[in-house]
Amino acid sequence: MTMDKLKKHFPWITLIALIGLVGIMDPNFLSLTNLIRLAADISTLFIMALGMTFVIYIGGIDLSSQSVANMTTVLATLMLPILGVGAALFCILIGFGFGFVSGFVSTKLKVPSFISTLAVGGIALSLGQYASGQRALYMNAEMRDQAFGWLVGNTAGIPHELIIALVLLALAYFVERRMTIGRALKSIGAGELAAVASGLQVDRFKMFAFALSGAFAAIAGLMFAVKLSGGSPVIANGFLLPAIVAVLVGGTPLTGGVGGVLNTFIGAMIVAVVRTSMLYLEIKATDQQIFFGIVLIVAIALTIDRSKMKTVK
Amino acid sequence: MIPMFELKKVEKTFPGVRALKGVDFEIKRGEIVGLVGENGAGKSTLMKVIYGAYQHDGGEVLVDDKPVRFENPRQAMEMGVGMVFQEQSLISNLTVMENIFLGFEQQFVRFGLMDWKHMAEAARFQLAKVKLDIDPATTTSELSFAQRQLVELAKVLTLEERVDGDLVILLDEPTSVLAKEEVELLFKLVRELTERASFIFVSHRMDEVIELSDRIYVMKDGEVVDSLKADDADVDDIQHKMVGRNVDKEYYREEKQKPFNKDQVLVELDGISRASSYKDISLKLHAGEVLCLVGTEGSGREAIIRTIFGLNRPHLGQVSIKGEQVHTFKANEMVDRGVGYIPRERKIEGIVSGMNVYENMTLSQMGRHSRFGVLNLAGEKKLARKWIDRLSIKASSEQADCGNLSGGNQQKVVLAKWRSGGSNIILLDHPTRGLDIGAKEDVYEMVREMSDEGVGVILIADTLEEAIGLSHSILVLKDGEITKRFDCEPGNKPSLYDLVHYMV
Repeated sequence: MTMDKLKKHFPWITLIALIGLVGIMDPNFLSLTNLIRLAADISTLFIMALGMTFVIYIGGIDLSSQSVANMTTVLATLMLPILGVGAALFCILIGFGFGFVSGFVSTKLKVPSFISTLAVGGIALSLGQYASGQRALYMNAEMRDQAFGWLVGNTAGIPHELIIALVLLALAYFVERRMTIGRALKSIGAGELAAVASGLQVDRFKMFAFALSGAFAAIAGLMFAVKLSGGSPVIANGFLLPAIVAVLVGGTPLTGGVGGVLNTFIGAMIVAVVRTSMLYLEIKATDQQIFFGIVLIVAIALTIDRSKMKTVK
Repeated sequence: MIPMFELKKVEKTFPGVRALKGVDFEIKRGEIVGLVGENGAGKSTLMKVIYGAYQHDGGEVLVDDKPVRFENPRQAMEMGVGMVFQEQSLISNLTVMENIFLGFEQQFVRFGLMDWKHMAEAARFQLAKVKLDIDPATTTSELSFAQRQLVELAKVLTLEERVDGDLVILLDEPTSVLAKEEVELLFKLVRELTERASFIFVSHRMDEVIELSDRIYVMKDGEVVDSLKADDADVDDIQHKMVGRNVDKEYYREEKQKPFNKDQVLVELDGISRASSYKDISLKLHAGEVLCLVGTEGSGREAIIRTIFGLNRPHLGQVSIKGEQVHTFKANEMVDRGVGYIPRERKIEGIVSGMNVYENMTLSQMGRHSRFGVLNLAGEKKLARKWIDRLSIKASSEQADCGNLSGGNQQKVVLAKWRSGGSNIILLDHPTRGLDIGAKEDVYEMVREMSDEGVGVILIADTLEEAIGLSHSILVLKDGEITKRFDCEPGNKPSLYDLVHYMV
């Protein structure tokens, strides 16, 4: 087996090795309930990473996800008394819209995606601050349970948020593998010029990828708001870096074209296990970003397809 | 006499390609050696090994019987080997003298400042060698092509002063942009310079190679298939050796060229112009016709094809496809109207490497293979298997990654993409570039089959011979305008010379 073929299997080998390693430190870690809890804890972050995968899959990047999620926690809290369960749809549409704007700016105005999403993220952040009046907001517990109680419970010992995350994964996987959109996104990531020369409406598909990413970020924000029973424009801070790490460590390189949402699931699990192991090593949550920053650089350097890049600036 | 420059069993391998297979090559003092071969025969690779841009990975390079290894072109220059580039290596916004001494300015620096007078003087001396009487301070972009070619030569001739001993100068297609008188002037010059230097002359024009060279090497598929004295050579014989058979009517399937349907117009361009690309272009493409656009690089051929595929829009004039006027110039619009595009950059624009055969084939027609956005994978695979069979594509299965197929098979996949989708206007941009002979013949065969089925083809050929051999009609372009139209019925085709005359 050549190195190239082996590379594809790195992510899950890494995951199993890490689980084994932590298991040696603490055998309780390997219990089923613990592993399920581990997965459930990461589900919000995973959903954000899931959306981001579409953008990275086409060779772009979405830096607005965290801000869109932040904003959504505020909007969801504000809209709950007015729209009830409809607040969910409202939030998703807003997220979709923000993503679409990023996509429009990057494809039509030819602003590189790292800048367009950074800028749109800035707008989302400010909007969240404005709407919340710079305060943390709280949901009415009764209203929350009535509209979104189903988001937080347990069925047969499996937390609902994990179930939702897996349903979204299945959905995203179907879009990626079985739908024309997924095929188009793959061709754009692997060879955009050939996609253009095949008559594909590349710009539309790209904008859709950004919009999907925005929508998933909004879902992540919504779940976070329900879980914490409130919203604040800074509540999801610290999500962005691990979410990008989850996508890249999972095996979707920054240059796009390979990998996909299933890889991101593995990547998110790796992030979860690493986080837990840092608890064992008594590394504070605030210091974890140092680690994720380093992992990010290493992951990019290892996975990037340099043949697709003529110059790097 | 010991050859002054010699290659012995030189090998060069790239991933997947053995570009040079044990090449033996020698140049004696004062000799002019011709080097001919088809595109992809290994000429460029051989040249690059000689002037140090590539390093050989087998065999020996000997200068005066001593083995050498050039790590870069500069090292080769220090041993007296210089290259006169075909693609105009001069930097157009620098002056002539700056270009001549590019990278070797240090000799003119006095107390950290450039002594321009001294440089101009030295440049004038070099220009005199090539009998070019221009001010060395002229900006290079103001020169004609012929003058630039001479400046290139003058630049290489600075080696005379810089290097003791003999020179080897490589001339890569130096005549391609020159008029007939200019070519004669260049040849006279080269002959005079043989007192000091030996030359390697690469050209597609056989008559010129025979006229100028003392000896000729013929390359094919990375090997030297023959080396002969120019006095004994004749054009047909060399061409025969280059392609391994007679370049005759059979090669281009001329006997299969049938008259096209003059009543059915597929594409009509009516006086279209696009700023700095092409001007006042009118043409009609009929069902079953192969229409070839001929011209030099930048003559507007590519831009016209890209307009017909909707990748750019004309600023003036009208485009009609199958009698309907086109208003929106978008690729998907044109694809819907039945236009298919086979781009020159096969690996970048033709196939998506990383996607498999069926994914590539249906990329342009996913709507046809899906319902409510959900792909019918079984249907796609079936289609791919059918076309793999029909075009005898060599792939392990429809699941094989297109990036790993050979060039010829990649081209077949691209062609299958359009043909399977029912496109009947096919734009071929250098369809045989970089293919080996067998694969080329497959492409020619496919072109004839398409004509039989009533498909209209607009072709930009890789060589003029190919253009003449394949087409029903030829339009010659120069500086974005049509200069001449030829009808090419079998048995009554224009000659190379007829075409070149209108190209430059």
